[in-house]
Amino acid sequence: MAKMRWVIVASVLIMLAISSLFPCSAGAAKKLFIGGSMALTGAYAEDVAAILAAFEDYVQYVNEAKRLAPWRNETFPSDITLEMLWRDDELKPAKAMSIYEELKSKGMLVFRVSGLPQAMALKDRLNEDSMGATCMAAGPILLKPPQTIFTYYPIYTDDLAAIADWFKEKWNETRKPRVAYLTADNALGKAIEAPEMGAYLKKAGYEFAGSQYVPLVPTSPPTTQLMWLKQNKVDLALGAMVNPGSQPTIKEAVRLGMGPQLEYRITFGMATPSHLPVFAPAMGELGNGFVVAGGFPPLDDTSTPGIKFCNDLQQKLRPDKRVTHIMYVGGMLEAMIQVEALRLALQEAPFEKLTRADVLKHGFYKIKSLDTGGLSSMPLTYGPGKIEGVDMVRVDQLQKGKIVKLGVWPCHHLYEH
Amino acid sequence: MALRSHTFHENYGQDMAIFRTKLHWGILLVFLIFLLACPLFLSDRMLTLMTMIGIAIISVHGLNILTGYCGQISIGHVGFMAVGAYVSAILTAKLGWSFWTALPCAAMAAGIVGLIFGLPSLKIRGFYLIMATIAAHFIIIWFILQLQNLTGGADGLAVPKPKIGSIVLKSKISYFYLVMTFTCLATLVAKNIVRTRAGRAFVAIRDNDLAAEVMGISLWSYKLQAFFIGCVYAGVAGALLVHYYGFASVDQFPFMDSVWYLGMLIVGGSNITGPILGAVSLKLLDELVTIVGPVLSAAVAAQAAASLALITRGLVIILFLIFEPRGLDHRWGMIKAYYRLWPFSHEE
Repeated sequence: MAKMRWVIVASVLIMLAISSLFPCSAGAAKKLFIGGSMALTGAYAEDVAAILAAFEDYVQYVNEAKRLAPWRNETFPSDITLEMLWRDDELKPAKAMSIYEELKSKGMLVFRVSGLPQAMALKDRLNEDSMGATCMAAGPILLKPPQTIFTYYPIYTDDLAAIADWFKEKWNETRKPRVAYLTADNALGKAIEAPEMGAYLKKAGYEFAGSQYVPLVPTSPPTTQLMWLKQNKVDLALGAMVNPGSQPTIKEAVRLGMGPQLEYRITFGMATPSHLPVFAPAMGELGNGFVVAGGFPPLDDTSTPGIKFCNDLQQKLRPDKRVTHIMYVGGMLEAMIQVEALRLALQEAPFEKLTRADVLKHGFYKIKSLDTGGLSSMPLTYGPGKIEGVDMVRVDQLQKGKIVKLGVWPCHHLYEH
Repeated sequence: MALRSHTFHENYGQDMAIFRTKLHWGILLVFLIFLLACPLFLSDRMLTLMTMIGIAIISVHGLNILTGYCGQISIGHVGFMAVGAYVSAILTAKLGWSFWTALPCAAMAAGIVGLIFGLPSLKIRGFYLIMATIAAHFIIIWFILQLQNLTGGADGLAVPKPKIGSIVLKSKISYFYLVMTFTCLATLVAKNIVRTRAGRAFVAIRDNDLAAEVMGISLWSYKLQAFFIGCVYAGVAGALLVHYYGFASVDQFPFMDSVWYLGMLIVGGSNITGPILGAVSLKLLDELVTIVGPVLSAAVAAQAAASLALITRGLVIILFLIFEPRGLDHRWGMIKAYYRLWPFSHEE
C-alpha cells in the first residue's frame, strides 16, 4: 500500500500542475499587462535580470504617479492599473511559443520577445494575432516583413556602419583602411555578414580582409583569430559580441600588442550588446580604444534626464538592491515603449474594446518622437516598415578607462538600400 | 499491453496483436476521440504545448530505439533533427516541393547522415561514442552555417506551412492534428520495430554485444540500422518542428536539447510508453516551473528564478536515476500489475 500512496500523491501533484496550465480569467479591475518573455536562463541572464527590474520599477512608477516620465506631460489613464507578466523562456523558441500563448490568453495586448531565435519562431504568430512586441535583440530578421517586432537601438549592421563612418572620418593615411569581421560564432555574430554590409564598407572606401569568429563565450583566448588580423594588416575589426566574448578578446589583443595606441595599430569596434558600461569597470585602462555603437548612456551620467530617472527610481524602489547593469536602461526603454503603445491605443479605443490590433495599429505604429529622456540615441519613432525606432547611432569609446561619447552618426538602414 | 488474468489467446495472431481485447480497442477509441476533441476544450496554449510534446515524443522514440533498445548512447540527436529540418526547409522553400514529398526525403537524409555518424559505433562505445555523437552535432551545425546560399546561414530560412490540397495547415488546430497523427504513427511503428527480428537483435546488442555477436547477430548491420531508424525519427521531428515555426534556424537546435531528450528517456523509461511518459512529464514540469518562476522571483529576487527550469529538470533526472532508474514506464507497469488481480491486492 505504501507504493500506492506514493502513486496517489504523485497523481495529485500532476493534476495540480496540469490545472495550472488552464487560463484563468482576468479580474474585474481595469488592468493592462506589459512584459512578456524573459530569458533569465542562458547567456543573457544577467542582462535580462536588469531588464526585468526596470519593467517592474516602471510599472510601479506609472501606477503610482500616473505619469509616463518626469519630463513628459502626458498622463496614463488614472482608472487603469498596469501589471507586469513575464515568464523565463530559457532562450528556447518552443518555450517562448508556449509562453506567448499563455500570456496572450491572460489578456496581454503587448509582448516582449527575448532574442532572435524566439523572434524567428514567433514572427508569423505575432503577425497573425496582430500583436506588437518589443525585442532586446536587433538582428536583420526583424526588418523582414511582417514587421511587428520593434527594437529600440539600431540593428547590428547599422551600428557597425556608424563605427565605419567614424573611423573613416579620422583616417588620415593615403591607402584604403583594411577592415575585417571579428565576430561571435553564432546567429548574433554572423548577422553582420550581410551583403549590404559588405557593399557599404566597400562604398565607404574600405578594403575587406575577411572574417574571423570567436565563440559567444570563449573558453580560451582567441589568439589565432587575432594573429590572423595582424597578418592580414587589418586596421579596423568590426563585430557583434556579448561582453563575455569581447572582454577576453580585447584582453588577449592587448597581450599581443594590438590596439589603437599599441605596437600594432588596430581599432576594435562592436555593436551593442557589447555594453561599454559593463566593459569599462571590468577592463579599466586595459580596454582603452574599444569602440561600441548603439549603446546607452552609462548609469553614472546623471546629466541625462532618463538616467537620472532610472537612478531616482532605483533609489526609491530598491535602495538596497540597486541594479547596476546597463540593460536596466534597455528594460526601461522597452517598458516605456509598451506603455506608450497602450496609452496611444487607449486614445482610439475604450479600455473595454481595446484589442491587440488596436495596440499595434494605433499604438506601436503611431509612436512618434517618443522622448526617452536621452536613454535612446534620439526620440523613438515607429510605423509600418519602421521598427528600428532610431535614425541615429550613438558611438562611444573607452578612453583612459572612462566612457567617452564620440557622437551620433546617421543610421544608414542598410537593409532598405 | 497487460491483460487481466482470465484472458486467454487461442492463436498466434491474437497473441501478437498490439490491441488484444475489446477493452484495448475501446481505450484506443476513447483516446483517439479525446485527441480529436482536444481543440474543442483546450486553449491555444495547451494546443501549442501538446504539439511541442508530440514532436518531442517522435524524436525521443528515435532516441529510444537507438539508445534505449540498442544501447548506443547518442547526445547528437538534435543535430540529426536539424538535418531533417533543413532538408525539408530547403526542398519546400527553395525548390517548391510539397511538404509531403519533402518529409520522407528529410527523414531519409537524417537517416543517411545518422548512418555516417553511426560508423564509429562499430569501433567505439560508451563514453567515446558519446563524444563522437557530440561531435556529430557540432559538425552538422557547422555545415548548416557554412552552406549559406542553401540554408540561409545564421539568418535562417523562412519555411512554408504544409498543405493538403489547397488547405494550408497554418492554424494551431490543423497543425496539432498533423503532429498527433505523426506521433501516433511513430509510436505504432516503433512498437512494431522492437517486436521484429531487428528489435530483438537491438536488445541483445544492448545487453551484451559480445554475446550477441557470438550468437550470430551482425553488430555492424544492426548498430547501423539502429542509427538509421533513430535518425529517421529525428528527421521527421525536425521537419515537423521547422514547418511549425515557419522558420529554420540553427538556434532552434541547441546542443542541450539532446541532453534533455536523453533525460526524457531516463524519466520515461526505455519501453515504448517511456518516450511518451518522459516527454509529457518533463514538458509539463517545464511549464509548471515557468509559472512558478515569476512567483519565486517576486517573493525572493529576480535571480531566484534564473535557471530554475534547468535546476529542476536536472534534479528530477538525478532523482529518477537514483530512485527509479527504470523510469515512469516501470512504475506504470507496476500500477497495471497491481490492478491485474484487482480486487485482490498484489504486492511485489
